[in-house]
Amino acid sequence: MSAPEPNRRSGEASENAWLALFRFRGRAAPNLDLGIGVASFIAILVAWFVVAELGWINPQFLPSPLGVLEAVYRLFADQNFTADIGVSIFRVWVAFVVSALMAIPLGILMSSYRIVGAVTEPIVDFIRYLPVPALVPLTLIWLGIGEMSKITLLWLGTFFQLVLLIADDARRVPKEYVETGRTLGANDRELMKDILLPAMLPSMVDNLRITLGWCWTYLIIAEIVAANSGIGYVIWAAKRYVKTPEVFAGVLAIGIIGLVTDQLIRWAHRKTFRYLGA
Amino acid sequence: MVVNPFIAIEQVCKTFPSDAGPVPVIDNVSLTIGEGEFVVFLGPSGCGKTTLMRMVGGLDHPTRGLIRLGGEPVLGPSRAKGMVFQSYSSFPWLTVLKNIRFGLKYRDDVSETEKDRIARHYLDLVGLTPYADFYVSKVSGGMRQRVAIARTLAANPQVLLMDEPFGALDAQTRERLQVQLLDIRHAERKTVIFVTHDVDEAIFLADRIVVFSARPARLIRDIAVASRVPGERTLDNRESRPFLELRREILAIIREEAQRNEASLMAAG
Repeated sequence: MSAPEPNRRSGEASENAWLALFRFRGRAAPNLDLGIGVASFIAILVAWFVVAELGWINPQFLPSPLGVLEAVYRLFADQNFTADIGVSIFRVWVAFVVSALMAIPLGILMSSYRIVGAVTEPIVDFIRYLPVPALVPLTLIWLGIGEMSKITLLWLGTFFQLVLLIADDARRVPKEYVETGRTLGANDRELMKDILLPAMLPSMVDNLRITLGWCWTYLIIAEIVAANSGIGYVIWAAKRYVKTPEVFAGVLAIGIIGLVTDQLIRWAHRKTFRYLGA
Repeated sequence: MVVNPFIAIEQVCKTFPSDAGPVPVIDNVSLTIGEGEFVVFLGPSGCGKTTLMRMVGGLDHPTRGLIRLGGEPVLGPSRAKGMVFQSYSSFPWLTVLKNIRFGLKYRDDVSETEKDRIARHYLDLVGLTPYADFYVSKVSGGMRQRVAIARTLAANPQVLLMDEPFGALDAQTRERLQVQLLDIRHAERKTVIFVTHDVDEAIFLADRIVVFSARPARLIRDIAVASRVPGERTLDNRESRPFLELRREILAIIREEAQRNEASLMAAG
């Protein structure tokens, strides 16, 4: 080691926690990290509040936070918003669970047997590139405006993406694990159940979490086009009467549900896959 | 020293396909291994010694020739041929004990309670009883390899195949594991094929060292270590004159082989 290099290790330990935030690939203290995240969130709220209360922007475009809160109250009190939220969550989860239950076995088979991969990959790749909004007319013609057409639309949007992600998760399982299983006497089915599945589970849960997020995007499309219930419908109906605070309230509801679900799954991921931490 | 040809490698050739046509990796190797022998495959990196061992395990297949285990042709992997890899050798989603227990999962010749007993036995044999309930990500690299050895032994294979199992470990850990492997081997009397490019490791562990040429692998020397290096295998023995002489001799063979290989590559290129 040449002399002028400062002792980086001890330097890092005693370094001001704030400075680490600005260092290339520096590691921030978790509390500080969270604090800054909350602060930037509050800063945006305050800026919004100030701009709206001072009347700089027409409230038709940007209602004040208080106006949105009132709208939230009205929605729950007068319009049974709880039922709309419930319907939306129901649609998202049914479609998501159906997609996952189909994609997990098929994805594993696609990566494990060339015949399944060769047959399905071109079809899956093709459908994957079809934009979901373009499929809305078809689902309406085929299935009408009932629950089935909405769930089908969500399924179309997620299943074909998910199956490729799952196949990739299975493919990335080190071949040593599979060969170990073989030399211990496992058959194909046992290899998939006892080795591939647990080995790929952490990355699979991550992919499921991301897919669940897409479900919400497609849900709003489905509910805007043809529905008389659900958060998307509430947003669209409010737009028709230029009730901007209600539109904001609907959008916020989706954001909050998404954030809470995502954090819950991340938390469960950390708890379940504690063995991953070295 | 071969009593009965427990493992017979008969005129085995192997080529890998490539864009420039088939590349030979193993060139007509014949070899027999007796039951209970500890044979080390030694050779330069990438020479095909691992491929040969994998073929004994049924994980690769000869292009030509045949491999027999106990007289029967090897057609694919099975519980008779246990394998210990250098990396990804144990399952991160299981604890130490459950990893070892996994070795017995597909045996139907023993009851569940017997499986628990056997798993505990091998856990103890590799000295990991205090770590039984640790996930393997929480134990050291050396312990992970011991887990893999115990798991493989628990499956009760006829032959133990080890693919540079200590290659990724630091020198001190590696030495300790070599000693422990000899102890385990005395307790178990398994036939072992051990692949390495570390000459010291080879002499220390082997009854017999088979030296391979650079790719394509040909058998260039078959050395009965016990007749060359007398005495018990201890760390002191590694400093003994016969040990060092054999070491010098093998290094010379390998160096010569590497030079010849380089020269032929130059001539070809």
